Amino acid sequence: MERKIEARIQNRVGPMVAGPAGILQPLADLIKLLTKEDVEPREAKKLIFRYAPLAAFTIMVFAFCFIPIDGGSVLSFGSTVGGFNGDLLIILAFATVANFLLFLAGWASCNPYGTIGSARVLTQFLGYDIPLFLLALTPAFFVGSLQIAEIAKAQATQFWPFIFLAPWAFVMFVITMQAELEKDPFDVPHSESELVGGLETEFTGAKLAFLHLTRDVQIVFGSALVVELFLGGPYGPVFFGPSWIWYTLWFVLKVLGVVLISEYITTVVARFRIDQVLSGNWRILLPAALLSLILTVVLVTWVYPLVM
Amino acid sequence: MSSSKIDILNVVASKLGSKVQIQPGQLGAGSIIVNNGLHRDVLKAMIDADEKTGITAITGLDLGENLGVYYHVHTSGAFVTIKTEVPKSNPKIQTIVDVHPGAAFHELEVSDLMGVIFEGNQPTGHLVLSEYWPSGVYPLRKDVDASQIKMLPPQEVNKPAEDPRQVKIIIGPQHPALLEPEKFSVTVDGETVTKVEPRIGYVHRGIEKATESRSYLQDVYLVERICGICNSIHAGAFVEAVEKIIKVDIPPRAKYLRVVALELNRLHSHLLTLGHAGLEIGYETLFQYFWRDREPIMDLIELTSGNRVYSSLMTIGGVRRDIRTEDIPKIKSVLETLRGQLPFYRKIYNDEPTLRLRMKDVGVLSRKDALDLSVVGPVARGSGVDIDVRKDEPYEAYADIPFKEIVYKDGDTWARMNVRMDEVEESINIIEYVVDHLPTGPIKINLPRSVPAGEAVNRVEAPRGELFYYVRANGTDKPERVKVRTPTFANLPSFLKTAIGESIADVPANFVSLDPCFSCTDR
Repeated sequence: MERKIEARIQNRVGPMVAGPAGILQPLADLIKLLTKEDVEPREAKKLIFRYAPLAAFTIMVFAFCFIPIDGGSVLSFGSTVGGFNGDLLIILAFATVANFLLFLAGWASCNPYGTIGSARVLTQFLGYDIPLFLLALTPAFFVGSLQIAEIAKAQATQFWPFIFLAPWAFVMFVITMQAELEKDPFDVPHSESELVGGLETEFTGAKLAFLHLTRDVQIVFGSALVVELFLGGPYGPVFFGPSWIWYTLWFVLKVLGVVLISEYITTVVARFRIDQVLSGNWRILLPAALLSLILTVVLVTWVYPLVM
Repeated sequence: MSSSKIDILNVVASKLGSKVQIQPGQLGAGSIIVNNGLHRDVLKAMIDADEKTGITAITGLDLGENLGVYYHVHTSGAFVTIKTEVPKSNPKIQTIVDVHPGAAFHELEVSDLMGVIFEGNQPTGHLVLSEYWPSGVYPLRKDVDASQIKMLPPQEVNKPAEDPRQVKIIIGPQHPALLEPEKFSVTVDGETVTKVEPRIGYVHRGIEKATESRSYLQDVYLVERICGICNSIHAGAFVEAVEKIIKVDIPPRAKYLRVVALELNRLHSHLLTLGHAGLEIGYETLFQYFWRDREPIMDLIELTSGNRVYSSLMTIGGVRRDIRTEDIPKIKSVLETLRGQLPFYRKIYNDEPTLRLRMKDVGVLSRKDALDLSVVGPVARGSGVDIDVRKDEPYEAYADIPFKEIVYKDGDTWARMNVRMDEVEESINIIEYVVDHLPTGPIKINLPRSVPAGEAVNRVEAPRGELFYYVRANGTDKPERVKVRTPTFANLPSFLKTAIGESIADVPANFVSLDPCFSCTDR
């Protein structure tokens, strides 16, 4: 989906051959990578180099398992709604750990491009994590709960989706997510023209496949989080038949919508320099996120009870 | 123009009088023949009189017992040559880099290929030849012994940075930021660049030497292949130089047709660079859009010449193919469409914030540095130096065609790209004027295979700047010496200066604004 959108905006057609309209292209790339020779630099730290990509992927998938779709997530813990209180923070923490493992992977490859690339990943990710947490708290404040399933459900029953109630937070969350996912304009760790492959430089074959998989899971994870927190999760009109079919459908459609927005931003801008990325974070985004939080608290405590 | 032309030769004559011998009309506006050592004084006199004086090229020649060292100097009005010779047994001559820093690269090349020793500018390694080249073997000399050329173990190693706190990052030879292989050792302190050491010569194919063993007609196709992007321009420059030696004037229709080929070359080259700049700053979409608009130009080149890239239109005495009258409406409609796209691109360059962040105030080259280093082309015109060979010394049909010279004063990457964008519009205007005013008549005249003895210089404005050819004929059907000085070779030293003090992340954007073409640089 990403690649087709990018291609169409660029006046090309994108992948066409693998699967109907090229949908299966990423899968084809994955299988191809798994069949390639695995080359390891002599100097790389073997243990981390070999297992960090796999570990990152695993943790990312693990985090994704907590995202509920109509109360039933993969790891629901017995409560009626699914998940447990505080799981919003847990999965954000897991995502951070996964990214840290990616940094370690690049660092362990002992290649100047890899080390600089990893360092940039870390600086960017950790920097933007703070506003991300703060902004993710906005819907939590509205609902009074840190449970994602509750937040999602509340948007269908009690409130309107938070994109309408706190639009500024939505916009900033999407931008921060762009930085977390390392997409343009925050593309620095992947900038081929400066750093060859960035942290991926020395990875080949199956390891590279897992690095790519991790990135793909991150994209879906990020988009799903946006959907759960701001767009009302899987809830939408049910027309006929069992509701879970419709909820799944709405969820998928909303995630694709977020991917569309995110990819659109990526395609139409150039790339920031690393120092511009950092100054943008600390000087603009973080204060803005703090302000957003304050505004949210004010609204929730005083304004909205009067209105609603 | 003509008054300042005579002035320079007069200035030299008045200052140095009987110590030099002036031959007006030879190799440009005139040649100044000096003995060893006086070339510095002549150059100094010229620079004092005219700030836009700069070295275009230094040609090394094998004249039998002596090695000729010709300094080709451009001034604001005239183009002159300072001729001097050194004996092969003791090929030492004083350097001029303290008088004019832009001469450094040229001297190093002559050292490498001809074996002239420039006192005060000693090379630390080969500039153009490979590390495996045996020392003492100078390929451009006539008496070079091919059997002596054996690969030795490499004489150069990658040295770490002198200051242990700084890191040396090697960009190249293979690197996604570079289209062609060259090596740049960039020393950084944190994120700031402190030094750039270039190592060129990875694409050196010895074309100058190869021209000496092929006939003139074969050489037309050979020099075309020096560069894949500005190919017609190399061929055009070469054939013009040969025609100057033969002292023949080609038919007017041929001149106009040559202009069409040259300007189409400039169009597709500038669109290529503008797109490539997008890639370097992470703006892939801009790259795709520019190249999409470049495709119709490639189709036009194919329409007029039969080939998308190496058009092979030029020949000694004219052009090989004519433009059919029924093709002219198609040419004009394609150009019209392209012209319609330009406002969109101008808007992006002016308004798009991410682009401005990456390009504005990046790689600033001051006007003084531009003059000192003899940069040419859009790099010079982006720093406020208004040199353009099409205006300064019109060739082919450019004297008849009205067009503007584009100059921006900012000196940064953004200015250089804007120069190229405006030149795209000017090229469109030029081609439209030409096809509207094509004179009738033959498209070429037949010339004999052998060229009478003589020598000539020729300068043209390639997309990347001033391209210089020196051709020396000896009465046979093969040239005695062909010297090519390409614009990127002249502009490369400016990159060594502009990168210093900036972040390493700016290096790709800065570099691409030079519009580097290494095939040209290395020949």
